[in-house]
Amino acid sequence: MYLYLPVALTSINVLIPVGLGLAVGLLSGLFGVGGGFLMTPLLIMFGIPSTVAAATDSNQIVAASTSGTYAHWKVGNVDFKMGLYLLIGGFIGGLLGVQAIKILKATGNADFVIKMTYVLMLGIVGTYMFFESLASMRKKKTEEVKTSKESSMVKFLKSLPLQTHFEKSGVTHSALVPLIFGCFVGVLAAIMGVGGGFLMVPVMVYILRMPMHVVVGTSLFQILFNCIEVTFLQAYTNHSVDFILAVLLLLGSTIGAQVGAVFGRKLKGEQLKVILAVIVLLVTVKIIFELTLSPSLLLAQGGGH
Amino acid sequence: MRIREFVAKTLVITTGTILGLLSLFQSGVSAELTATANHDHINIDFFYHGSAVSIRGTSDPATDLVIKITSPDGHQALRKKGKVAGFLWMNVGTLRFEHAPALYYLDSTRKIQDVLSREEMLKYTIGYEALQRHVDMEPAVDENEKAKWFQEFVRFKESSKLYSRSSGNIARTEKDGKQNYYILNEWPYQAPPGRYTVTVYAVKDKKVIETAEASVLVEQVGIVKSLAGMAKNNGSLYGMISILAALGAGFGVGMVFRKGGGAH
Repeated sequence: MYLYLPVALTSINVLIPVGLGLAVGLLSGLFGVGGGFLMTPLLIMFGIPSTVAAATDSNQIVAASTSGTYAHWKVGNVDFKMGLYLLIGGFIGGLLGVQAIKILKATGNADFVIKMTYVLMLGIVGTYMFFESLASMRKKKTEEVKTSKESSMVKFLKSLPLQTHFEKSGVTHSALVPLIFGCFVGVLAAIMGVGGGFLMVPVMVYILRMPMHVVVGTSLFQILFNCIEVTFLQAYTNHSVDFILAVLLLLGSTIGAQVGAVFGRKLKGEQLKVILAVIVLLVTVKIIFELTLSPSLLLAQGGGH
Repeated sequence: MRIREFVAKTLVITTGTILGLLSLFQSGVSAELTATANHDHINIDFFYHGSAVSIRGTSDPATDLVIKITSPDGHQALRKKGKVAGFLWMNVGTLRFEHAPALYYLDSTRKIQDVLSREEMLKYTIGYEALQRHVDMEPAVDENEKAKWFQEFVRFKESSKLYSRSSGNIARTEKDGKQNYYILNEWPYQAPPGRYTVTVYAVKDKKVIETAEASVLVEQVGIVKSLAGMAKNNGSLYGMISILAALGAGFGVGMVFRKGGGAH
């Protein structure tokens, strides 16, 4: 069955958005990412204009992350305190990132910087996560005792003022740490035009040392608020949210997020990290191909105004 | 902006009148050509997936016919891809196309080059070459570049079924010393709402001898119209409803799963 999308001004087979929603929602519930880095290009591939694809995806993520946060909250896997600090940092970072984009656009090489940031970030994060989680899986098998060698990084973080305990995550950090790293992810996310879940998850795992299951729930919690803000701004300033498309997507993604949360509980933290790393690396490879192979069309729908 | 619109409208009306008068003079030979578009009013509703437009009419016997469907001239900004650092394909800027119709369909009874002379094609903006001359690009480029990017523009439009040209698909039958013609065009769902003009040219000896016009109106109706209107005119309310609906759906599904999964 085909439905007409009033803002995207195109017609789509309903099975496509519902199916995409289901798949991306599943990833969202499993790993605590919004999945924008997968969903937006897929929607564009199916003929949705790029601005509408990005805006509508953020609307859909509101639903998927509500569903996912709810599922993780029920089993006590959301650290609201940590989420709030990250959110504040992310908000400030977003404002800075938007300014950075303005400066880049004025100098005329915005696209180059954006694409390179994207590839480098995905590549570094994916590779690091992949090898680290493989190593820790092997280590777990041979010796159960945790070697708590504190790196200089950890020592530095411990020396910062405003130390506070995060009960749910079972970690103690300076309040500045989530604020600063939230801000850092916010800047990059704004530059790349993505939610930044795939950056926030590694920050929480490797820098904030939170347990993987709490990471997923907390990440979804802060993604939820980010996407509410983005959806509103997109609807208000760009008029690019397609309500019908969002409803079709969220039909799949809300259910997918629940299924993902259930599956996630059955997998170990390391297994989750390895799978997420593989997905991130696949996306990196795909972007590299896109950058180097000759495109079939040299003109594309203009983005924004 | 208003003044520009006004000038543009006046221009359209004046040219329309002149064309009408011209065709009156020309048709002094024989006022035979007629054109009607069946499905001249296409409603875009919730289940719209494109439509079909048939054009039929009568003409002088032994004339060739050229049928052109266009939307009013508009401007569109497209992102231009190019190579950066020798091997990376990226967006390298925006190219604006002025006086370019969103839709351009051309059908002719035989190959267009065999039917019309180049001068006539340019005069009536028939064919891609004529259209290329008609369109302006911004930032301005030299002729070679313009030809290259216009070709890309056509490929982009053809990929979303908004530009097309064909020949030999117009059916012709002769009856009572008149020629009846008929063509059925698939109407793409990608074509945005608006008023489209169908122009039929009767051609003899490589010259246009008569023209006739019909129009096709594409309009949004019902839910599609109200949603599109609200998204455009009441963005904040539309945004809030979208967010609330998403929150509601997320919680709703969460509750359902809690009940369903509560057994174990």
